[in-house]
Amino acid sequence: MRNSIKVERAKKNLTQAQLADLALVSRQTINAMELGKYVPSTVLSLRLSKIFETSVNELFQLEEEDSK
Amino acid sequence: MQENYLLPASFKKWGWSIFVSSAILGIFPLFYNWEPAFLELDVPAIFIDDLIENKAIIGMTNNNILNEICAVLVIIGGLMVAFSKEKYEDEFIASIRLKSLVWSTYLNYGILLLALILVYDFSFMWVLIFNMFTILLFFIILFHWNLVKLKKSVDYAE
Repeated sequence: MRNSIKVERAKKNLTQAQLADLALVSRQTINAMELGKYVPSTVLSLRLSKIFETSVNELFQLEEEDSK
Repeated sequence: MQENYLLPASFKKWGWSIFVSSAILGIFPLFYNWEPAFLELDVPAIFIDDLIENKAIIGMTNNNILNEICAVLVIIGGLMVAFSKEKYEDEFIASIRLKSLVWSTYLNYGILLLALILVYDFSFMWVLIFNMFTILLFFIILFHWNLVKLKKSVDYAE
């Protein structure tokens, strides 16, 4: 699964630490999500979409291997 | 999300001091055969069988309770270290917790399986004694090792 958290974070001019505080998670979690090492829960995905004022579908995209 | 099966974060430092001190106090007598006389007591017991003559379902038995005290404290301290919340206990940490728990269970039973087919007689009793604590120990090591690895990867990202 791909995500555009890093891009959206840059648009909002937020550091990983600031986004972590807003999303109520640790900085490690933000970093792991940006690197594609961690797929967040629905709750966290919705929280991020609210922070970035974008839909979850725009923030996260399925890749071909996710449909196998 | 609230993880209500974990202990408060403040339990962790107490857990470490109980775990380490009772482990040292418990391992030391194994090598030096040291048993303080004042801990030699008649204690209530169930399923008594001293292999000589005393057999009972329930009753009193004489025992040096140093190793029992240490084992209880090692387990309580170990549980406190293993299952206290991290400073930022979020869903990602929970996933690392789960991964570490699964691998420590594999490791623990992998070693036990090897010991089952390679270690016999009295030596196997030592395997069983240490096996009481190894799953907790492996989990504590793996979980904290994963946390350190994670912290390093974030420091790199900065």
